[in-house]
Amino acid sequence: MSETEDFKPKILIITNLKCSDPGADYVGQSHLEYTPNAFIMRTKDPSVFPEEFYFYCFEQGFDGVIIMSGGTDTPFKGAYEALAKMIDNVYVSMQERGIEIARLRLTAICSVCAEAFIKEMGRIVEAVEPLGPIKV
Amino acid sequence: MSEKKKVDEKNEEKVAVFICHCGGNISDVVDCEGVAEWAKKLPNVVHSEDYAFMCSDPGQKLIEEALDKGATRAIVAACSPRLHELTFQNVFRRKERNPYYFEHVNIREQVSWSHPHTKDEATEKSKRLVASGVAKVSLQGFLEAPTVEATKKTLVVGGGLGGLRAAKDLADKNVPVILVEKSPFLGGRVTQLDTLYPKDDDAKELIHELIEEVLSNELIAVHTNSEVTSFAGSIGNYDLTIKHTPRGVTSKIGEKAAKAIDICPEVVENEYDYGLTKRKAIYQKYPGSYPSYPAIDWVNCTKCGKCAEVAEGITLENDPTEQSINVGGIVLATGFKPYEPYEGEYGFGQHPNVITLPQLIRHLADNPSEELIWNGKKVERAALIHCVGSRHREDIDKPLEDGSLNYYCSRYCCTATLHMANELKDKFPDMHVFELFKEDIRSYGWGYEDYYTTASEKNVRFFSFLGEELPQVEITEKKHPLSITVTDRLTFNETMIIPTDLIVLAVGMMPEEIPDIIDMMKVPQGAERFLLSVHPKLRPVEADVDGIYLAGTVQAPMTSTEAAIGASGAAAKAAILMSKDIIELQPYVAEINESLCKGHMTCLPACSYAGAIYEAEVDGKTVARVNPALCKGCGTCVPSCPEGAIQVKGWTLDQYKAQVKALAQDPSEV
Repeated sequence: MSETEDFKPKILIITNLKCSDPGADYVGQSHLEYTPNAFIMRTKDPSVFPEEFYFYCFEQGFDGVIIMSGGTDTPFKGAYEALAKMIDNVYVSMQERGIEIARLRLTAICSVCAEAFIKEMGRIVEAVEPLGPIKV
Repeated sequence: MSEKKKVDEKNEEKVAVFICHCGGNISDVVDCEGVAEWAKKLPNVVHSEDYAFMCSDPGQKLIEEALDKGATRAIVAACSPRLHELTFQNVFRRKERNPYYFEHVNIREQVSWSHPHTKDEATEKSKRLVASGVAKVSLQGFLEAPTVEATKKTLVVGGGLGGLRAAKDLADKNVPVILVEKSPFLGGRVTQLDTLYPKDDDAKELIHELIEEVLSNELIAVHTNSEVTSFAGSIGNYDLTIKHTPRGVTSKIGEKAAKAIDICPEVVENEYDYGLTKRKAIYQKYPGSYPSYPAIDWVNCTKCGKCAEVAEGITLENDPTEQSINVGGIVLATGFKPYEPYEGEYGFGQHPNVITLPQLIRHLADNPSEELIWNGKKVERAALIHCVGSRHREDIDKPLEDGSLNYYCSRYCCTATLHMANELKDKFPDMHVFELFKEDIRSYGWGYEDYYTTASEKNVRFFSFLGEELPQVEITEKKHPLSITVTDRLTFNETMIIPTDLIVLAVGMMPEEIPDIIDMMKVPQGAERFLLSVHPKLRPVEADVDGIYLAGTVQAPMTSTEAAIGASGAAAKAAILMSKDIIELQPYVAEINESLCKGHMTCLPACSYAGAIYEAEVDGKTVARVNPALCKGCGTCVPSCPEGAIQVKGWTLDQYKAQVKALAQDPSEV
C-alpha cells in the first residue's frame, strides 16, 4: 500500500470571529458537508500569528493549514495586508525547510460564504492528499 | 475584595465541562455522553457531564452547581458562541465569578450539522474541540474589562419611518438624538404610499404626525441633506463626521417657492412618483412635505440663477460643511429601495402600460378620477403579477447586475397587491382585475387574509403559476394592447390567455445601497445584502458591532407596521445602552510585558490605530505601552515583536499553541 492510499489529511482551519467563523456556522446552518478531519480554531484575527506558529502546527501533525481570513472585509485596519505579507514570508520559509507550500492556504471567507467555504475545503484537501502525511 | 473574587485571582485551573445535546440537534450525531465521559480524562477537568439543553435554566443551574463545588472555569460544547456565549458568561457573573473563565465550543453548526453522516468522526472531532477548549480556558489569565464613560447620545441614520420612530422613542426616554437624512426631505418611502393596510390609514397623515413629533422634540436634532463620512471609536464613544450639504433654499422663500420652481429650466425625472412625472432642479418632494420649502438638486442644477431672481432665500452655494460628533450608540435606519424590473421583464420598458405597483399607487393617489386612464386610454382590464424581483429561481430568473438573485420573499407585496386589487374594484367597479401569483399567496398577518376573501367576493380573478413557468407577455395590436399567457395551476394547468390594458408588477424590496456605511462601520450583510442582526430571535435588532442597532427595512423586507415595531425595538436596545453611565469594553486588547520589551518599537508601525501603541519611558528605559481604549485587539502587532513581548489578552500565542496541540492529539491517546 502506498503512503498516500487511504490518507485523509488532517487540516487545521483558522477562522476569524467576524467573518469566516460565522461563515463556518453558515455552512452548518445550510447543512453543507465537508471532511470531518478538519478542525476549526477561531481567532480574533489570524494576523496575530508569527511565522513560527505555522511550523508549530505542522510539527503537531497537521497535514494542511487553511487560513480563512475576512480578506479586506476584516474589521481591523491593515490586518489583512499584514497577514498576506506574513504568509508570503511563511511560503519562502516553507520552501527553505522542504515543506510543500500547498499545505498552507490563505483564503477570504465572509459570514455567508458557505459555498466558498466548501469549495476552499475541497481545494486544500485535493492539494494535500497527493502530498501524503506531513514530515517535519 | 470578596472571597469569590479571590478564587478567580488564585487562577486555579479547575475546569468543568458540559456537553449539550441541543435536543437532538447535536446528540443525534455526536455521542454526547461518550464525549462527556472522555473529557473527564483531560488535564484540569474536575467535572464533566452532558445535558439536554445547556441554555435552559436547569442547564445553567448545572454550571452554577459546578462552580459551587469548586470548579473555577468552565466550557460548554454546544451551539455557536454567537448564540449563547453571553448566556453562559452571565452564569459566571451571577455567581460573582469572572466571566472570562468561560470558553464556548461549537459542536452544533461546526460539527453535528456539518457532519451528519459520519457520526464516529463527528464524535471524535467533538472530543478534540472540547480538549482544545479545555486547553484554552486552562491558560486563561485574569481578565478585567476596561470601562469607559458612555456618551448619552444616539445617532439615527435615516429619516424615514424607521429612523423617525427610533428617534422619537429614544427622545421619549430622555436620550438626546442626532438624526441625519441623506435626502433633503423627511418621511422616506412611506410618503410615497397612499393608504396603509390593515386599517387604510392615510400614509402621509401618519408619517406627518410622527415628523411633527420629532421636529418639536427638543432632544432631537434633525439634519437633512446630511450623511456620515467618517467613523471611529467603540461602543459608548463613537466619533463620527457628518457632512452637511446646503439645501440652497431657506424658509425665507415663502410663497414665492412656486415661482422659483416654475422658472427653473432644468427638467428631470421625478423620483417621488418613480419617474411617472418630471420635476425641476429646485423642487419640493410633494406639497406639504417636510421641510415645507424646496431644496436644490445639486446634481442637476446648473446654477443659472433664475430661481434666485424671482425669490428670496435662495443661495446657490453647495460647498458642504463638516461636523464632528460623539455618540454612544447608532441606529441604522437606511431603509429599502423597490426592485427595478429589467427591460423586457413582463414587457416592462417595452410598453408604457407595463408599470410597477409603486407607480400605480402614486398615480392613483395623485389623480383621483372615476376612470383610470393610462397612456390616454381607459383601463378596462388590469392584471397584477406577484413576486417580481422576489423569490427568484436559479437558471430561470435573470440575475441582477451584480450577478445575484433575490431568493427571498419580500413579505409585503402579496397583501399590498390584494389591497390594490380591492382599491381598483372599489374605485372602478366595472374594471376586470386579475391577479397572477407565483405558487401561493402569502397574505400573512392579522386580518390580512380578509383582503384575499374580499377580493374574491369582488370578482378579482386569481391565477397561479409555477416559478419555472412564468407568465408570458405579448404586445398586441388588439383592443387590449397586452396579452398574458399563463399555465394556471388553479384550473389544473389550463393555458389561459388574458387580454389586458395594464400590467402591474408587484416589485419586491431590495436593501438601500449604503456601501460607505457598511465599509466604515463593518456591519455584516446577509446573503441577501440586507444588514445582518446577531441572531434573528435572541438579538434581532443588534448588528454584530457593539452599540449599533438595526431599525426597519435595513435588515429585511417588512411592512410599515413591522418596520415601526423593529425601530421601536432598536430604540429600546439603544436606550438600555444609554442608561448606563459606564460601559464595559472587551478585555481582549494587546498587553505588553515590559520586562521583555526592549524598546525596539517595531510594534508601533505594525499597528493601524493611531495612539493604540505609544512609546513611554520607565526608569530610564524605553518601552511600548498600549492604550486599551484605542486598541482593537486584532493582534497584528504581536508578530512584529522580536522579543515576543506583546500578546492579546485572552487570545495569547500560548493559548493558541495549546489549542493546536489538543486538536492534533488522537483522543484515544488522552
